[in-house]
Amino acid sequence: MNEPMVSVRSLRKHYTVHKRPPGLKAAFASLFRRVPTVVKAVDGISFEIGPGERVGFLGPNGAGKTTTLKVLSGLLYPSSGEVRVDRHLPQKREDAFLKKITLVMGQKQQLLWDLPPSETFALNRAIYEVPVPQFRQTVAELTELLELGDLVSKPTRTLSLGERMKCELAAALIHRPTVLFLDEPTIGLDVSMQVTIRSFIKAYNERTGATLILTSHYMDDVAALTQRVIVIDKGVLSYDGALDELARRVRPEKRLVLQLDSPVDRATLEALGRVVSVDAAGAVLQVPQESVAPVVSRALATLPVGDLTVENAPLEEVMSELFSRSRAERAEVEDAA
Amino acid sequence: MSTLGRYWRLLRVQVRSSVLLGLQYRADFALDGLVSLFWTLTAVIPLFTVFHLRGTVAGWTFGEALLVTGWFTLLEAILEGAINPSLTAVVEHIRKGTLDFVLLKPADAQFLVSTARFEPWRSTNVVTALVLWGLGFVRLGHGPSLLGSLAALLLLVTATALLYSLWILTVSAAFYVVKIDNLTNLFNSIFDAARWPVQVFRGLLRWIFTFLIPLALMTTFPAEAMLGRLAPTALAWSLVGAGVFAWLSRRVWLRSIARYTSASS
Amino acid sequence: MSARSTFRALPTLFRIGFAEMVAYRAEMLVWVLATTMPLIMLALWSTVARDAPVGRFDQQDFVAYFLATFIVRQLTGAWVAWQLSFEVRTGTLSMRLLRPLHPMVSYAVENLAAIPLRLIIALPVAVVALLLVGSERLPKSALLWVVFLLSLLGSWLITFLANSAIGTLALWTGSSIKVMDVWLALFMVLSGYLIPVELFPPVVRSAVEVLPFRYQIGFPVEVLTSAHDTRTALILLARQWTWVAISFFLVGVLWRRGLRRFAAYGG
Repeated sequence: MNEPMVSVRSLRKHYTVHKRPPGLKAAFASLFRRVPTVVKAVDGISFEIGPGERVGFLGPNGAGKTTTLKVLSGLLYPSSGEVRVDRHLPQKREDAFLKKITLVMGQKQQLLWDLPPSETFALNRAIYEVPVPQFRQTVAELTELLELGDLVSKPTRTLSLGERMKCELAAALIHRPTVLFLDEPTIGLDVSMQVTIRSFIKAYNERTGATLILTSHYMDDVAALTQRVIVIDKGVLSYDGALDELARRVRPEKRLVLQLDSPVDRATLEALGRVVSVDAAGAVLQVPQESVAPVVSRALATLPVGDLTVENAPLEEVMSELFSRSRAERAEVEDAA
Repeated sequence: MSTLGRYWRLLRVQVRSSVLLGLQYRADFALDGLVSLFWTLTAVIPLFTVFHLRGTVAGWTFGEALLVTGWFTLLEAILEGAINPSLTAVVEHIRKGTLDFVLLKPADAQFLVSTARFEPWRSTNVVTALVLWGLGFVRLGHGPSLLGSLAALLLLVTATALLYSLWILTVSAAFYVVKIDNLTNLFNSIFDAARWPVQVFRGLLRWIFTFLIPLALMTTFPAEAMLGRLAPTALAWSLVGAGVFAWLSRRVWLRSIARYTSASS
Repeated sequence: MSARSTFRALPTLFRIGFAEMVAYRAEMLVWVLATTMPLIMLALWSTVARDAPVGRFDQQDFVAYFLATFIVRQLTGAWVAWQLSFEVRTGTLSMRLLRPLHPMVSYAVENLAAIPLRLIIALPVAVVALLLVGSERLPKSALLWVVFLLSLLGSWLITFLANSAIGTLALWTGSSIKVMDVWLALFMVLSGYLIPVELFPPVVRSAVEVLPFRYQIGFPVEVLTSAHDTRTALILLARQWTWVAISFFLVGVLWRRGLRRFAAYGG
């Protein structure tokens, strides 16, 4: 394949922290003697991302996702390993590199607080040296795609969280970056706003061919936006591939959602498969992949089924299973050692 | 379970968490004390220079003026160690919107908020104050009279109460004005005038510093008490003034909280 | 960002910086009002000089000196040290680092943008000063006025760069406000802010000639109140700008090293 947009080889990022034990006596003692510990935020990760790809980083909190993102954007220097973005070394923080990327952090903002977002746009135009005609066109497109309307003329502090996030995104894209790093972009937003932001990001990627790297706790973000996921857990890459493949591997079972015309007792349901939930209106059963067809025909034959759908296990569950499984495996290893 | 006992226990808990917090930032722990000391020492230089050039200023000699500066330093120590840290935390609460947590607790908000943070290592200035007093009396060639000392002790209580009340008034303004770090800066800038005997100021300014922002009651009057030359009217005004300001600040605080809880979303 | 492109971006940067200050004007006013020290010292020294002049200063001289101090302070203040400490602590420094604009340039613009507003406050004070004291003390020659303007610029630069150097220490220690407090204490005493430099005893005087503090505020005030003849003024100007150069160099070194350490530890 031609030159990858992002290439990471054996990335390691280690920190030295000092433990702070609880209690008054220990706190006094720590004044004189500190215990240093090495934290391996990222411990040997390698992957490549091609131009225009949409990739999601998944992993439990503290897994190393945000650290990796910060290394890719040049905010952190790797302890070892090689990282390249569009052939640049991020840590050099060359102007040419900085003009090609953008980092949007859901928890931090770049919009000027007391002024309207339009002023931040103008500021970014000047800093990124965007020619005025292109700037006007970009702002018009973004205003239309994000349905900003007159939000951009109101002081940022008067906007709601969702409106602010939309304007944040717009401000981050004024210079038409070709690589987008998004760190929890939909955090704290209501469902409809999440949908809006997701469809915008997807549209932007399709229109401009920008490469997208996203971290998020919301599985819907990942499912809607990314074709490929990289799972990082405790600083190590544990999976790199398509999301549904991952789901199939971790939870190779299907869910049967039954709408029942009249209540059925639990024992009868348990004969068909594992009961996830049951109430007056219906039941949800979990059934291995291979058994789906026979169970469906038996259910239709023996139960008062009003409606029946076959679904994949919810991604949230798949993910938490994946992480708890790996944690349990690690605990076993640690116990054994 | 008496209310007093309860508040005493609360106080102990608050102090303990302050100390723990302070110990966490180990560099700060040592540095804070040193910086306080440094500020005090550098602040004495102007005093020294003025009296080096002129033996008596506004009826005060160097030794006598040192007493005033000593009182100022002592009050600064109380301000920096016991009052400032907690009340600055209130400002943070208001800014971050976490004051609601304080208001939801079943104890008086003003008490909780005033005892939230103590930084006792800033009390190095207490020692400095004692040193300044010592130097002052050495220069004067005599010590304080017994009656004078008793009066001074009483005035310590009123001075602390006044300082605290003025601070509460300043912080209450935070409920009306969003960015208040400036207001605390303003307070400190005005309070700085208290390091000089109030007689240095004339006319309107002296009136303001005696009745409106009663700095005179906090540093000049106690020093005069120690020197045995405090007028009885001044003593009376100190006691009355402290009471008035305590009452006023409590009312303003309660009014501000009421406005906050009814206005916040 | 290259020098040329930074230069091209400056007008927009300034315009927005100024707009931010206008949005922040209530707080700005409070900051200005909190500059009470020159006024307190004015009251003090006036009382001292009531019966006889102190050195060459009579009461009028003190009024001229301290009102000039107030004005110069408004025009040469900077607060980068607090900005940097805050941004390092909250992690918002990353936002600045992601831009293709040198963070020092953006700090400089933000600090400079406050000056127009502070000038508006300083002007009435200047008018009052002129009314009270008359204009005899102002610089007589055009050259001295030029020296004054250059000294104002030098003053601002030393203050800004000292602030930056100390602020940069936050990249190592997380917060350098304590160090800034120490600097401020020294500044207030040794710069001519509280005591005209002439009135110091000889030992302190010779130290003050060499240290940077006097060139942060004392020197411009002295030029404005015609305390020096042209030759002395020019010599002092050279000393001031030597300090500017030293500070510039120091900040360059500290910033580069600090950034490397910051990016090694936490972005």
